[in-house]
Amino acid sequence: MQTDEAKDGTAAEGRPVPRPDQASERYWEEARAGRLSLGRCTSCGRMQYPPEVLCTFCQGEDFEPTTLSGRGTLWSFAVVERPFHPGFVPHLPYVVGVVELEEQADLRMLTNIVDADPAGLRVGMPVEVTFERRGDAALPQFRPAQRTGGDQPT
Amino acid sequence: MSSLSRDVAVVGVGYSELSRSGSFEPRALTLQAVRGALDDAGLRGADVDGIFEYKFGPESPGAQDVARLIGAPDLAAFADIFPSNPSGVAAALAAVMAVASGACETVVVFRCMTREGGYTGGMSGDAVPVGGREQYVAPYGASNVMVTMALLKQRWMAQYGRPEEDFGQVALNARRWSSRNERAVLRDELTMDDYLNARTIVEPLRLLDCDYPINGAVATVFTTVERARDLRQRPVLVDAMSYGTGPRVDWLFVDDPLYGGTRTCAERLWSRSSVTAADVDVAQIYDGFTTVTLSWIEALGFCGYGEFGDWVDGGKRIGPGGDLPMNTSGGQLAEGRLHGISFLNEAVLQLRGQCGERQVPDAEVSLVASGLYPQCGALVLIGG
Repeated sequence: MQTDEAKDGTAAEGRPVPRPDQASERYWEEARAGRLSLGRCTSCGRMQYPPEVLCTFCQGEDFEPTTLSGRGTLWSFAVVERPFHPGFVPHLPYVVGVVELEEQADLRMLTNIVDADPAGLRVGMPVEVTFERRGDAALPQFRPAQRTGGDQPT
Repeated sequence: MSSLSRDVAVVGVGYSELSRSGSFEPRALTLQAVRGALDDAGLRGADVDGIFEYKFGPESPGAQDVARLIGAPDLAAFADIFPSNPSGVAAALAAVMAVASGACETVVVFRCMTREGGYTGGMSGDAVPVGGREQYVAPYGASNVMVTMALLKQRWMAQYGRPEEDFGQVALNARRWSSRNERAVLRDELTMDDYLNARTIVEPLRLLDCDYPINGAVATVFTTVERARDLRQRPVLVDAMSYGTGPRVDWLFVDDPLYGGTRTCAERLWSRSSVTAADVDVAQIYDGFTTVTLSWIEALGFCGYGEFGDWVDGGKRIGPGGDLPMNTSGGQLAEGRLHGISFLNEAVLQLRGQCGERQVPDAEVSLVASGLYPQCGALVLIGG
């Protein structure tokens, strides 16, 4: 069972993992395969984050699965130095970021900014997706872009 | 014509003692505030036929408990309103609608918090899988409103190219006023150095960007303008009220998270009010976090977007003697966190001319804006 596997994973980690639902099942499945993927509304052509049971722009109900480049810019970030949750104590300090994806204006994700010195972060810098295994789940995470230009991140 | 439209007045305001420490019975605090508000109006529990409360959880008694304690014979309308509504003033907005519609004649609203029972913003320590919206938040260690506020503060500074001192002006202003308010729990004035040296809660959000948790309760009484004329105090008219959420409602995953529902709430308020922003003599604006106050000021049209820092003029604009005296009780940052209803009461006291050494001369129009981002509410009050 999905839930049991995830529980096993969190027991080792101590940090929460997502519990997929009807709207997010595909999103998390794709993340496990190393892809950042959102649904594009077939009515209005827009993507939304987080996934929902319908399009919150136009109330359309059909989505076309769309794999994203994983590139974006850092819209904002905050450094958590004091824990709000015991599972994160071994990981302090950590950075919570909001990333604006390059495919659509104002399309933003909440994430952690990893593999970076917090002091070197600045709003507007290019970032790219990477995936963190946590139990049975994989979390899309972002890090400063390794290179610029049109290449896929490696 | 139906009967669903009557003019509404605020006729009573009450407070319990406010304190920073100690153990308090929430029912006793609430009763102190509610009795104070009824006494202020010259009314009794037997006159009350509506009660609305704003609450987070079991930290306060409910509307029905209060009905029993004050001897209200029956409630024609009541609710315990939970916090997906405008912070605190949700109860007041419900009261206005209840009286205006004719559902009730005399309504008590209240908010009670204790430090022991109050929500402090901590997260569940469970590591179980999380569903709903939290599945996109909790795995990232971001399930706390202070993380959201830190993100918005950082973005504001970057987007407008403004320094942290802009937020500090709200914190300093709170103490300038609270030093004149005996009820306030924090009364020492602050310097900008104090602000900039306050520890970060989540960088860049500082301790002094956050309101101060207290033990206390606050209550307000509403009735019709017609009935208000026969009561003890000079009535204060509710000129306009509004809610706002913004489109595609969320705290963060919206097109315009810096302002959220403040823009639509403000537009709706001014479209209904008999006055404009330029007519406001004294403003009471939510300061649960300083980030919220800046958004409200700009959304309400007191200055242009991104212009707060210049407009506030080193704090002079909003301080004693300024063009727009703001948060004259010290607000939640200094008087103490009572979620909106304490702003409403301060507005009423200002319009009655009962604020002593912090009184704004000739105050006739007051604005109350409460709540934040997806949960905004506002009122315009006019002295009788």
